[in-house]
Amino acid sequence: MPDRAAGTPTGRPTAGESRRPGLRAPVRLAASARAVLLGAACLLMAAPFLWMAVTSLMGQLEVFSSGRLLPETPLWSNYPDALTAQPFARYFLNSLIFAAAVVTGQVATATTAGYAFARFDFPGRDKVFMLFLATMMVPAVIVLIPRFLMIDALGWIDSYQGLISTELVSVWGIFLMRQYFRTLPRELEDAARVDGAGRARIFWSVGLPLAKPAVATLALFAFIDAWKNFLWPLLVTRSMEMRVVEVGIAAFHSTYEINWPYQMAAGVVAVLPIALLFLFTQRYFVRGIQLEGIR
Amino acid sequence: MSGSRNPVAGTVPAIAAAAAAAGLALLLAIAGSAVREARHDAAGDLARMAAALWELPGGGDAAVAAFLPERARIEAVAEGGTGAPADPGAWAYRAGTLEPGARIGVAAAGDTSPLPRTATLIALLGLSLLAAWAWKRRRSSPPSRYPAAPALLAVGLLAAVAGAGKAWADRELHLVSAGQAAHAARAVGVALATGAAPEIAPRVAGLPWATAAALESPGELWTMPREVAVALAASPSSPPGELAYTVRVRGATYHGAAVALRPAPSADTPGRAPDTLHLALLGYEETRSPAVPLAAAALGSALLVSLILFLLPLSARPRALRRTLAAWGFLAPAGALLLVFTFGPLLFSLWISLHEWHLVDPAHPFTGLDNYRALLADGSWWSAIRNTAVFTLHVPLAMAVALALAILTRGSRRAVRWARLALFLPSITSVVAIAVVWKWLLNDGYGLVNRTLEAMGPGSAAWLTSPDIALATLMAISVWMVVGYQMVVFQAGLASIPRDFYDAARVDGAGPLQRFRHITLPGLRHTLFFVLVTSVIGSFQVFGLVYVMTEGGPLGATDVAVYHIYREAWEFLRFGNAAAMSWILFAVVFAATWLHFRFLERRGARA
Repeated sequence: MPDRAAGTPTGRPTAGESRRPGLRAPVRLAASARAVLLGAACLLMAAPFLWMAVTSLMGQLEVFSSGRLLPETPLWSNYPDALTAQPFARYFLNSLIFAAAVVTGQVATATTAGYAFARFDFPGRDKVFMLFLATMMVPAVIVLIPRFLMIDALGWIDSYQGLISTELVSVWGIFLMRQYFRTLPRELEDAARVDGAGRARIFWSVGLPLAKPAVATLALFAFIDAWKNFLWPLLVTRSMEMRVVEVGIAAFHSTYEINWPYQMAAGVVAVLPIALLFLFTQRYFVRGIQLEGIR
Repeated sequence: MSGSRNPVAGTVPAIAAAAAAAGLALLLAIAGSAVREARHDAAGDLARMAAALWELPGGGDAAVAAFLPERARIEAVAEGGTGAPADPGAWAYRAGTLEPGARIGVAAAGDTSPLPRTATLIALLGLSLLAAWAWKRRRSSPPSRYPAAPALLAVGLLAAVAGAGKAWADRELHLVSAGQAAHAARAVGVALATGAAPEIAPRVAGLPWATAAALESPGELWTMPREVAVALAASPSSPPGELAYTVRVRGATYHGAAVALRPAPSADTPGRAPDTLHLALLGYEETRSPAVPLAAAALGSALLVSLILFLLPLSARPRALRRTLAAWGFLAPAGALLLVFTFGPLLFSLWISLHEWHLVDPAHPFTGLDNYRALLADGSWWSAIRNTAVFTLHVPLAMAVALALAILTRGSRRAVRWARLALFLPSITSVVAIAVVWKWLLNDGYGLVNRTLEAMGPGSAAWLTSPDIALATLMAISVWMVVGYQMVVFQAGLASIPRDFYDAARVDGAGPLQRFRHITLPGLRHTLFFVLVTSVIGSFQVFGLVYVMTEGGPLGATDVAVYHIYREAWEFLRFGNAAAMSWILFAVVFAATWLHFRFLERRGARA
């Protein structure tokens, strides 16, 4: 966990300060310069979101009047107006259904496969694992066309099963779960085996509960990825009733081209759930990235 | 060790290869006979039409001569002879030689495509190589651990050739039935020109259905299904004169033809404007070639055999067998999904890229490498690749910024917490929402960026509407988007570098720059490589930003590869071309990754 590691008592500034009192002033100066730099960077990064929120409260013509940075009076009615101009409630419902199904599917497939790769010794295991991993190098656009034609042939265009079925397995998730299961001690599972539990039961009542943190990370990433997925839903949905939020925002953008406050209101509503989710689950994100980055 | 442990290892693929060769011949023979039969039937229909024209009042020699199609020639006049067409060209039809009551023979015409023969040759070559290899391996080396692999390869070859045969047959049948519709239209046209009544004319063509606005009381026989009539009437261009076209109704293909009715000028209808007569006949239905089910069955049985062969050596050790079975049980959900939605589509995509594949046209003629060849000369595609490559140059820039931020946030806990939210948000939220807000920020006249710049002095710029800078703008936004994610990865990498290194370096008197150069950078080598590869792969697939912000414009300046592929497939419906593009893109990405890898490896070995 970087936040823990980065904040260890042996962290550089404190160590330098205590060891060499003569350097105190420059170090403090460096620290405040750093804070300023960091603050500027954060402001720059957050500015578009702030501007989005500000614009969403302006009048449709007010945004074009020069020199105006804040709305004269916050126009809260933009939100209900924009969100009812197109069936956003339905879009959100679809996104939720899509994301929930993808999370369930990816957790189910990744935990079982990761467990098999980590805990079973069988001929060809490493080769199969490498074969799985190799698919991460393949650009997704290659499988887009055949997948679309397959879904079309099945008559699943513009349906939940068409939207969901291709996204149910994540090789990254399998990799994550395998790595995590390998770090777990085998003793508990051995004890369960001695007690006469079968493999499926050991997995379900010993392995899986121990892997909860990794499952949480995987579920989180699966959720975000599904929520952000734009191209696939764009291709397989046709009707308004099947659109997800991402596609909905894009369609909204082309319909209300010049009504920026409406678009910004829709944007805020699309960004907010993810921002809140991130706020409360930061450490799982960081763990996921850590597990991914350090191989 | 040689061959004794598992004697089946070599012989199985050899047998599989032999079986595949036999199956191959059978499959192609079936496809070939289906096509031959259809051509035969078509020739018979043409002969009947010619005979009907012959018998029409005002018909006869001239009418038949006018009807003579290009693809089939009336070539035999046999009196009391057999009705079956003889060899093409054996008898040439000469106007004036037909006697009333003579039989008109039409030879089945068709250009023989080299595909079945070429495919068979290639497959047979592959199979024999495989058989030879398997045989040699049986004698000389220890048995393969995966004896089924060559067998699977053989089955794959078989399925490929079978599929090619089916595709070829479909295409030929499509041509035959489309040609037949055109001939029928021509026959009707000729009949009308001879002065036959409009009601009678369609009968000349022997068509199941024909209808026309001009026909006042179409008999039951001539009433085509309503949907077909509507589809024909609504078909793209109301065809002038005589034109064959195709419509799809309820999954079946109808070949239609239209003939302009030019009623003979008579006393009661002087100067009547020509009406259009629409004809339609049920076109080819998909070949019910057994190739596909056979190939599926072969694949299934090969999988079964390979499974048995795979488990056979384990059966001596029941515990190992049970463990393997359990492992595959656990792998089954993920494995099956990957097989169906990743590995299968990969092969399917390669297959599509070798065809002319339109979504609406049921015929997918095999074109070999034509798609790739055309793409090599396609300037707009290479400009999309170039744009993508230029776009990818934002990755090193983003990495530099991210590394700086990671070093900046190292050490202070609270700053990290809060900075992370602000920095990370762009990389996890909705790309479309981000694209929309940036489009607003960069709006030419009213965007915040231009307003600020104007207020501060430098003046505004056409961020997204100038072909010179639009791509650079997208790159900058992309840096903004990915920097937070990369920073967190770098933070993790930095945390894994032991503190002692820095302390030791400081004792040795190394300054901050030297410490960065000699400790931080080498310590982050793997992290840097990881971030570089994943970011490059990601940036080669940029789509949402371009789709929302620029739609590839202005003047194609931001037309990147995935967007180009998207339009090729879902706007122009050229799926074969798009699939070929995606493989070229893959080759480019793969080459880039590989070069990075080699480069870093060599640097790493030297360091």
